[in-house]
Amino acid sequence: MSAKQADVKERISSVQNIRKITRAMEMVAAARLRRAEQRIEALRPYAAAIRRMTRQAAEAAGTEVGSLPVLKEHDKDEAVALLLITGDRGLAGAFNSQILRNGLRAATEHEREGRRVSFSAVGRRGVSSLEFRDSEVEGAYIGFTDRPAYADARNIAEDLISAYVDEKVDRVEIFYNGYVSALTQEVRHETLLPLQQATILEGSEGESEGAEESDSDPSHSALVEYEPDPGEILSRLVPDYVEISVYRALLESTASEHGARMTAMRSATENAGELIDDLTLEMNRARQAEITQEILEVVAGAEGLG
Amino acid sequence: MAHEAFPVEVLTPEGLVFDEEVEMVSTRTGVGSIGIRARHQPLLGMLDPTELRLYRGESDIVRFAQGEGYVQVADGRVLLLVEEAVPPDDLDRGDLEDRLRRAEEAESSAEDDSEEQRRAQRDKRRAQAFLNIAGGG
Repeated sequence: MSAKQADVKERISSVQNIRKITRAMEMVAAARLRRAEQRIEALRPYAAAIRRMTRQAAEAAGTEVGSLPVLKEHDKDEAVALLLITGDRGLAGAFNSQILRNGLRAATEHEREGRRVSFSAVGRRGVSSLEFRDSEVEGAYIGFTDRPAYADARNIAEDLISAYVDEKVDRVEIFYNGYVSALTQEVRHETLLPLQQATILEGSEGESEGAEESDSDPSHSALVEYEPDPGEILSRLVPDYVEISVYRALLESTASEHGARMTAMRSATENAGELIDDLTLEMNRARQAEITQEILEVVAGAEGLG
Repeated sequence: MAHEAFPVEVLTPEGLVFDEEVEMVSTRTGVGSIGIRARHQPLLGMLDPTELRLYRGESDIVRFAQGEGYVQVADGRVLLLVEEAVPPDDLDRGDLEDRLRRAEEAESSAEDDSEEQRRAQRDKRRAQAFLNIAGGG
């Protein structure tokens, strides 16, 4: 075998190995994506029940929820916190970079309007990119983006709520990859704090369930006992929305990450396949050229003898 | 003597962890310990971290380390909505001690009467309650 043939053969085998890896990664991502989707589903009944209880407590308390600190807009609008949700790992197409790009663009915009910007980031990718750019990272949350727990979301939400209620920031915005389908993820940019009253009292999710419960709503029937009083219950229920929003964003981001990685790895596997086809063709050509060469030599030799 | 059973659901953000009939529920609200039996009057309560006990029978008890949450009694059913419900055997003492220490540090370094301090106090209470449930390790 000629040197050229050996060389091409080696390249084919290394591309074959890469294809094995990308195909395995694609399958792992697909399995994790299914689990992540199930976790998004699992949150729905909880979020719907929180919403029902909030309505009940708000009705019983008879107060305006707008006076709660997480709902109240600050008089000043000088400092904004941006929470960027990325992943701990790369190899997922534009998943991480599009969050950073959108977050940094928003930061520039805020700074131009005279606001101070502080960053928080979820995921090693986001944290290290921000540090690389010399941006100060107020909160760095890493090590769980494969499988975020509610406690992770609570931790993040409470950091942000404390900063908002203690008036260290006047606004909190969040950037994450919203999960549409395995193939489609879209960057979402939402205002987390001040909490929008509409998020609490209207709400798009779980309303079908809410309707089914409405006729058995206990606040309309028997006398309900409250422990402690409804106002106090309400003041804890409302910040829960921030936790739930962060948790949902983490879950959607995780599903998106697995979806993006699945897609990226699938196209890597396809590219490897095409490359192997090209290289095989090249190797066959080299072999054919060598055979032709040998035949020519034999024929020339025979002619020389004759 | 067996008591009348009633349906109880324990729902967390990560899913349903318990959905059975029990004779009594024992937990803790913002006001104090509470035991709920069948035909309890309608209730909406705020739950504090504690050991949640679900009595399927006199001595058949399911236990969870329960985080903050809410309890609703309506139409003879009980719904416990909690941020966490961890089987006591899954608690990690070392991890909880870590969390308790961090919460105590955060509490002392935070400004008095700030949200940051109140948050550290909540973390501390939760870690303490879970440590008690984890027992001597």
